[in-house]
Amino acid sequence: MSVLQQERIVFVGAVLILAAVVLLPFATLVAELAGSLVGGEAGAAFELLGSTRLWGLLGSSLLRAAVVTVAALAVGVPLGLVVARTDTPGRRLALVLHVLPGLLPPYLLALGWFHLFGRQGMLGSEASARLLFGESGAVAVLVLAFAPVATALCVLGVWGMDASLEEAARVVARPPRVLTRIVLPAAAPGVALAALLIFALALSEIGVPMFLRVETYPAAVFARLAGIDYAPGEAVALVLPLALLALGLLAAERRLAASRDYAVLGLRGAARPPLPLGRWRAAAAAGCAVAALLAVAPLVALAGVARAGGGFGELSRWAGGSVTVSLTCAAAAATASVGLGIPLAYALARQRPHARLPDALAVLGFVTPAAVLGVGLIQTWNRASLAWVYGSLAIVVLGFVARYAAVAIRTCASLFASASPHLEESASVAGAGYLRRMRRILIPLHARGLLAAWLLVLAFCLRDLESAVLVYPAGREPLTVRIFTLEANGPEPVVAALACAQVGLVAGVLGLLSILIWKGVRR
Amino acid sequence: MSRAIAVEAVAAELGGRRVLDGISVDVGTGEILGVLGPSGCGKTTLLRLMLGLLAPVAGEVSLDGLLASAPGRVVVPPEQRCLAVVFQDLALWPHLSVSGNLEFGLAAHGVGRAERRERVAAMLDRVGLAGFESRRPGELSGGERQRVAIGRALVGEPRAALFDEPLTNLDAVRRTEMRRLLGALLRAQSTAAVYVAHDVRELAGLADRIAVLEAGRLAQVGTLEALRMAPATPFIRSLLTEEERS
Repeated sequence: MSVLQQERIVFVGAVLILAAVVLLPFATLVAELAGSLVGGEAGAAFELLGSTRLWGLLGSSLLRAAVVTVAALAVGVPLGLVVARTDTPGRRLALVLHVLPGLLPPYLLALGWFHLFGRQGMLGSEASARLLFGESGAVAVLVLAFAPVATALCVLGVWGMDASLEEAARVVARPPRVLTRIVLPAAAPGVALAALLIFALALSEIGVPMFLRVETYPAAVFARLAGIDYAPGEAVALVLPLALLALGLLAAERRLAASRDYAVLGLRGAARPPLPLGRWRAAAAAGCAVAALLAVAPLVALAGVARAGGGFGELSRWAGGSVTVSLTCAAAAATASVGLGIPLAYALARQRPHARLPDALAVLGFVTPAAVLGVGLIQTWNRASLAWVYGSLAIVVLGFVARYAAVAIRTCASLFASASPHLEESASVAGAGYLRRMRRILIPLHARGLLAAWLLVLAFCLRDLESAVLVYPAGREPLTVRIFTLEANGPEPVVAALACAQVGLVAGVLGLLSILIWKGVRR
Repeated sequence: MSRAIAVEAVAAELGGRRVLDGISVDVGTGEILGVLGPSGCGKTTLLRLMLGLLAPVAGEVSLDGLLASAPGRVVVPPEQRCLAVVFQDLALWPHLSVSGNLEFGLAAHGVGRAERRERVAAMLDRVGLAGFESRRPGELSGGERQRVAIGRALVGEPRAALFDEPLTNLDAVRRTEMRRLLGALLRAQSTAAVYVAHDVRELAGLADRIAVLEAGRLAQVGTLEALRMAPATPFIRSLLTEEERS
C-alpha cells in the first residue's frame, strides 16, 4: 500500500466515523420531520412553531446569549491582555483561579452564588435574592462562567504572536499603546472565536436559567423530554429553529476560520519579558484580584455549606457511582476524540484537500445547542435493536464526542501547524510511511501537547450537563446530572459537597493542564 | 563627532549564560557602524541592549551622552530612546496597511494627522512605494516589504536606526539594490545606523566602520580596509578571506 493510500484510508475512516457521530442525529431529525410531513402529522408541529410565546422565548434566549457574550468579552479580553503580557503581580495565579469556573458546569456557580446571596445566604437579603433569581442574576452568573473562555483564547492568541511584532512597536510606543494597537489585534481571531463559542455555550445553557427561575428556549425542549410537559414529538419540532441557528453559527465560524493557519499555540510570546505597566500596574493588579475573587467566592461558599452541614461525610453515599461514570465517560470520549482528531488535524494543518470538511462537521457539533444534539441522539439510537448503545454509557460517550471532537481537532491542528513540516519530511525521505511517521515522529514529538488536548476534552466532558442530562441511561448518571437532579430537593450540604467533588475533579485536570502549558512555555 | 550611541564595557546574559562580555563600541552622529560576526556571537543581543529591550548585567549604554541602560536596569525605556529597528523578519504589523505601519510610531510620538500623512507620503515616495498606502503587508512582494520596513524605520527621523540582517531573505540583485537605497536614505537624513550582518559583503560600501564580534567579545573595530590590512585575529582573517573567496 502506498504512503498516499495509507493517509487517505485513515483520513476517510476518521471522517466517516465523525460523520456518523455528528451527522446521524441531524439526519434522523430531518427524516422524522419529513416523515411527519408525508404522514400529514406535521400540523401539530407547525401549530407549536406558530406560537408567539415560543418565538418570544427564543428571542429572549438569543438576547441573553448576546448580552452574555458582549459582557464576557468585556471582562475576559482586557484580563487576557494583562495576564499574558504585563508585569502585573500575581497574574499567573489570577489566571489559573479565573479559568477554573470556565471548566465547571455554570449551574454550580449559580448554586455557590445562591449560598452567598440567596435569601438565607451568608451575605444574602431579600433584595440580593430578588436580583439573583431573575434575568440580571442569570446574566451575571453566565458572564462569570464564560469570561474565562475569552480570557484563555485571548492569552493563547497573544502568546502565539511573533515576538518581533511587539518589539518593533515597543521601540516607538509606550506599553499601553503597544497592548491595544499591536498585541490586541494579533489576538483578534482568537477573540472572535471566543465570541462565537460563548454565544453557543450561553444559548445551550439550561442549568443556570432553570435554577434561577428564568425561562429559556432549550429548557422548553428539555421539559418535553424529561419533564412534566413530556412530548417528544413536540421536542423534535422545537429544535428546528435551533438547528437552523447552529448552521448560521457554523457559517460564521467558517468565515472566521478561512484566514487562519491554526498555528495559535506556539507559546513563543510567553517567554519574552512582560511589558511594564508603570502607574497602571496597581489598577491591573486590583483587576486580577477581583477576577480571582469572583471565581473563588462561590466555590468557597459551597465548601462552607458542605463543611458546616457535614456534607462531606455523606459524600460517598450520595455520589454513588456518579464520579466513576463521569470519569469513565469523559476519559472514553477524550480518547476517542483525540484518536479521531490526530489524522483529521494532521490533514488540516498540512492543508490537505477536503480537510476543512470534517473540521466543519466537528464545529457543527460544538456550536449546535445541546438540545438539538440530544433530541437527535435519542431519535437515532432509541430503538430496540440498538438498546446496547442507548441503554448503556456508550450513548453519553457518543454525545460527548459529537459535541467536543472539535476541541481535540483544533488543539491537535495547532500543535501540528506549529512544528516544522521538515521534521516529518526528513522521516519521509528516510523511507518512513504515513503510519510510521505518525507513530515514530509526530505523536512522540507532540506527546505533551496531545496529552494537553486529551485533558482539555476531558475537562469539557466532565463539565457537561446539557448533553448528558438528555441521554444518560437510568441509574447511571454522571456527577453533573446527579448534582442537578438533587439540587431541587436533596439536602443542601450534600449537594454542596457533591459540587465540591466536581470542583476537585476539574481542579485536578486544570492543574495538570497548567503544568503542561508552563513547561511548554519554558521549553 | 558626538556619539549617538555609546556602549561601555557591557555584558549580557540569556538564560543564565553570558552571551556578551566587555563590549565597548560607539556610533557617531550620521555614522554607519557595521557589526560583523558568525551566528550566535551575540550580534542581535547587542542590538537589543542598544534598543533597551534587554538590560545589561554589567556596563552602560548611553545615548547622546545620557545614561540609557545601567547594570540590571533599563533607565530610558525603548520608546523614549528615539531609535528605530528593522528586524530580520521585518516584523511588519499584518493588521495595519502600509501607511498604518509607517504612521504608528509618528502617532505614538504625538505627531498630528496632517503632518503624519505628509511625512508618510514623502517617505513612501523616497522608498519607491508611492501608491501603496492602503495595501497590507500580506499583499506585497518580498522587496516591497523590505522597502516598507526601511521606510517605517526612517520616517520618524530617529537618532539612530538599527538593522538586524534585514536583507537576508532577498536574492543577490535585490540585496545590492536595497543596500544602495538604504545607504542613500541614511546619508541623506544624516541618520546614524548600526547594521548587523554575518557576511562582510553586506557591509562593503555601506558601513563607515565595522565592529567584529567573536564568541561574545569585541575582536576588532575599524574600517573595512583597516580590517583587511591588519586583521587582529586569525578568526577575522578567515572571516574576511572566506567571504571574499565565495
